[in-house]
Parts: sequence; C-alpha cells; structure tokens
Amino acid sequence: MTDQTGNTLDEFRRDALLSHGELWLRYFELGGMSTALEVEAFLYEALQPSLHDRDLIAHALNERFVELGGNHPVPYADEQRV
Amino acid sequence: MSKSSPSIKRPASPTHLRGQVAASDSPGPAGPWDPVNTHGVTPSDAPLAHFGVAASFEGDLALLGLQGEIDAASGRVLGAFFEALAASGYPSVVLDVAELDSMDAAGLAVIASAAGTLVGAGGGLTIRSSSTDAARVLDITWLSDLIGIELSPGRNRLGPEQERRRLAPPGAGLAESAEDPMTVTAIPADEDVVDCALRLVVALARATVGGADGASVTLRRHGRLATVAASDQTILDMDADQYSTGEGPCVDAAIEGRWFHAESLNEEPRWPAFTPKARALGISAILSSPLLVRDRPVGALNIYSRTATAFEIKDQKLAGVFAAEASNVLAAAGVDIADDQVAGRFRIALRTREIIAEAQGVIMEREDIGDKEAFDVLRRSSRLSSKPLREEAMDVLGSTHRPDAGTEIEPPEQHHD
Repeated sequence: MTDQTGNTLDEFRRDALLSHGELWLRYFELGGMSTALEVEAFLYEALQPSLHDRDLIAHALNERFVELGGNHPVPYADEQRV
Repeated sequence: MSKSSPSIKRPASPTHLRGQVAASDSPGPAGPWDPVNTHGVTPSDAPLAHFGVAASFEGDLALLGLQGEIDAASGRVLGAFFEALAASGYPSVVLDVAELDSMDAAGLAVIASAAGTLVGAGGGLTIRSSSTDAARVLDITWLSDLIGIELSPGRNRLGPEQERRRLAPPGAGLAESAEDPMTVTAIPADEDVVDCALRLVVALARATVGGADGASVTLRRHGRLATVAASDQTILDMDADQYSTGEGPCVDAAIEGRWFHAESLNEEPRWPAFTPKARALGISAILSSPLLVRDRPVGALNIYSRTATAFEIKDQKLAGVFAAEASNVLAAAGVDIADDQVAGRFRIALRTREIIAEAQGVIMEREDIGDKEAFDVLRRSSRLSSKPLREEAMDVLGSTHRPDAGTEIEPPEQHHD
C-alpha cells in the first residue's frame, strides 16, 4: 500500500533511522499484537495490515519523526481515505 | 524512590503474539525495493514457502512455535526474528518444531547461525520436539554441540488456540491470566531503584564487616556479569579482572551460587589468571557470597581486604547477612522474572504498553467505544499535541482518581456518566 506520499512504510522506517527491531518494539509498545516478522511483512507489503495495525505502525513512525524534529509525515488510514 | 509516572499494579496483559506469514501464492512485493537492507531479509527473493511462527514469552525464555517449512527464504526471516529477540534482551530461545513440516539444509544453516548469535548474546537455543528425530539430525550435523534438545511431548506446545488468543480488553478478564505461562506477571522495579538499594548494601557491608577495605555487587545483566555497585575503584578493577579472565571468587559465587573465600591470595591456587592481577591491585583477601533469588544464583556480594586472613568467622557471617539482604532487594524487584537478561528497553516497552492499554480502557468506558476507537482518540490527541501517545495515556490516567497515579489524589472529573 504505497500511500499518496509515494513512500512505502519501509521507506519511512529508513528515513526515521529505525531498525526493524526497534520499530517493532515501538509498535508493540503502542499495543500492537503482530510479531516482528509480521510487521516486517507489512513494511515490505508482503502482507496487508489491518487499518488499525497500519495506524499503529504509522504512529510509531510519526512519534519517531517528532523526536527527530519533524511533524507527522506518515498518513493515517483515515487521512488517506479522504 | 519511584518516578512520577503512574505505577500500574495489575498484571501485565498477555504478551503472546501471533503471527503467520503464508505467502506461497503472494505475487511478491510491488513497490520500490531496496534489494539490500540492513536486516538480512531480501524481499526480492522468491516468495516464502508456507511458514508460520508464533512467539510468546515465558519468564526469560522466548518460545517460538514454528509451522510449515524452513528453507532459505523463510530461514532468513526467521534469522531476522532471532536477531530481534537477541536485541530485545531475549537471547534464550526455545524452538517448538512439533508442527514443522520440513527444514532443508539452508534452513538448518540459519538455525545454526542463529544459535551462534544467541549464545554470543549470552543465551542459547533449545529445540523442543516430541520426537527424537530432531535430536538425531542435530547429532548427525554435529549441531548438538551448539543447540540443546528438549524432549517434551505436547508440553507447552504453541497450538492454534494460543495463536488465536487476543489481547483481552483493557481491564477485563485479567484474573485468568495468572495461570497463563505466556503472561509476564510482574513489571520489575526500575533498575535505578535496585542499584540504589544495592549501593546501600555495599556501603553497609564495607563499613560493618571487619577487615573490609571495599565491597561490590556483581549481577548478571543482559547475559553477562557486571558490577552494579562498588565502594571504590580498586574493587571495580578487581571485578573487571575477574570478568576478563573469566575466573575468580566473584565469578564462581555468581555462577555456582556458593560462597567463596580467598583467605590469602599469596597462597591461592584456584584462580591462576586472576590472582596475580588482584595482588597487583594490593588485594590480599576476598570474600564472595552468592546472591540468590528463589535459589537461583543471580550475582555476588564481594568484599576485599588489603590484609591476608582479615575476615574472621563473624565477618564471614556478616557478609552472608548482607548478601541475603541484597538478595531480598533483588527478589522484591523481580530480578528473577525480569531476569538478568531482559533488556531495559523491553521492560520499558511492556510498561508503556500497560499504561496505554489502561488508558484505552478508561476511554472505552468513558465514551462507550471500542478499543480501537479508544486508541484513535489517544492517537489524535498525540497528533495534535505532538506529545508521545504514552504521555497522553498518562494524562488520561491522571485525570481519573487513581491512588497510584501520583502522590496527590486529584478530584475525579465528572462530566457525565
């Protein structure tokens, strides 16, 4: 699911300077229920995440971007549907 | 002292995770790829064969239930998973292969390499199987040197019903989780708090034990021994010499769980690599008492003297008393659960997860909405305020009158029922 920004979640992950492991931990922290393996598959678009899972990943990434001085660049599911 | 964040008293929610990658008919990735990424997974490879993994945690062990086939492609993904576990402070992994259909040579290579990684991280790999075939394969491939085998038919199998377990709604049905081996039942005290208590024990031991010139506490943390409290630089150096040579009374006490007394290093044959280094530091006698949590050695209390045979019987007994005291501190802090190997990061993640789940529960009740919607409420406030979602969750908890949410009990907000 490449969003309107044209970036895949994994490209966002790399921009956010997060390893797969650290991103998974942040996703887990927010209440995510999928394994690291599954999250990795979401990032690579080998598996389609639920909207909730996608939002969890998006938020984990966005919190990281805020730490890095950015604003929430990863769109959430409700922002994409327009 | 505890920090200002609310401490959540109820048991942690199940950390059982569920995962399934079954991409045998997947058309493969469509987007732009970085063919070489840092995680060892090359997504441009052939699609994964049918392969599934269920992960859960039991004490300090990570349990992985494997299903399907392990070949080069699924093996690489599995390898990445092992790395993530080792990095998250779970280097001790049990593989349940009861539902594994097949494993080819490439898959075996991944398992072997993972075993090396995990051992390097202070843990290890055990294969749990209901048949002796797995043991035979490892024997034939001489991997049995590296990988343990546990024959336990059916016990603790990660079956489909566990895979389907979902996170209970926040605040609901947690009582039953007490029996669930997949549940982390305690969130340990801050490492800082523990260290502070141990420093106190060290100071007391040094001041009280006759002949003591210095004292320290060694703990197994993240799979290796480390000094977490020390009265002076000499004992820090002495401990470091023991860790680097891998021998000495403190190492032995921490590993074997027994008491070791080097009365006079001038006549000490037991630790030939370490003893000259200690003598060079001016140390003549060492008394190391084990720290035990539920009969399991987790570290040692070390006392040294510049005078040979300085420690009399009463001093040895006193050292034992302080070691027991330090053990109590560690037991109360849940060190055996949080254990020597759980990385602080993972612990923080669990605690944060709890806080967020708790806040979700509050919002669900307050606004009569589901858990995902409650999460969205938190997510939107976090987006608006640019504060981490964790902080929004803590604000939500702080607005309800939880006695453990802070020192001051704030009046409950009563907008409407």
